[in-house]
Amino acid sequence: MAVSVIVALMAAVNAQTAERPALLELLKALNVSAYPSLMHPPEFNGLTADGQNVSLASLSCRVLVLSFWATWCLECRPEMAAFERLHREFSVKGLAVVGINAREGTTTIREYAKDLRLTFPLILDSTGKINSGYGVIGLPTTFLIGRDGRPVALAVGPREWDGKPGRALIGALLAERAVLKERR
Amino acid sequence: MQILGISSNLSFSQKTFADSLKLPYPLLSDFPHLKVIKIYGGLNTQWDSTTAQRYFFLIDRQGIVRGKWPGKVDQVFHSEPILKMAKEIADKH
Repeated sequence: MAVSVIVALMAAVNAQTAERPALLELLKALNVSAYPSLMHPPEFNGLTADGQNVSLASLSCRVLVLSFWATWCLECRPEMAAFERLHREFSVKGLAVVGINAREGTTTIREYAKDLRLTFPLILDSTGKINSGYGVIGLPTTFLIGRDGRPVALAVGPREWDGKPGRALIGALLAERAVLKERR
Repeated sequence: MQILGISSNLSFSQKTFADSLKLPYPLLSDFPHLKVIKIYGGLNTQWDSTTAQRYFFLIDRQGIVRGKWPGKVDQVFHSEPILKMAKEIADKH
């Protein structure tokens, strides 16, 4: 029974994305993993290092890059700089880049942000609750969420998000029509 | 032989976990009611009753549970006893 359920789920893998073969190709080009269509990203609500409140619900209708990182993560550093470039270029078109830190303090995060000139929101997760809810066990881990709230891609480890395939993928998601849909 | 992992986590977080470790077998989500975990007696009642205790079960082709091994948190479980019993069962068929 359990096995047949799994088979059914596998068959439904990314039904929404499968309708868009070009998007599947873009995922492949960036070497990121796709999602089964029935999955929903867990809701989160947190304070940024600047004291702003940011939740998943508050980012609806935007393409969301959710990056889990830490200041001690060497592979995160070039990726965070790339996310800043994407944030500056695409936020006016509907991209939201959000960093979720792993159990570090406000001062540490602020110094890091100042050093790399990061201007996108960096959420504190001092208890690790958001990291745990997303199943993050290694850094960097990045989630890409579409305008309709569906999870599109998962990358464990660094990727060239501001390279040609990354930009093409983000561009394709930004071109999707925004659908008002309640996130679960 | 089919290996299945089951936990009380959401399937979303299980996917991240499985991708991170490149697991070659499926993970099943028993969220939110932990029905299967309770049936197998694996509920972590000493902590918060929302998670499973670490257990390994070996089930044969007829669906009979042939073995049950507890695992300890933060300790590597040595798989030799399970493999030994699995081989014994396989040899009989």
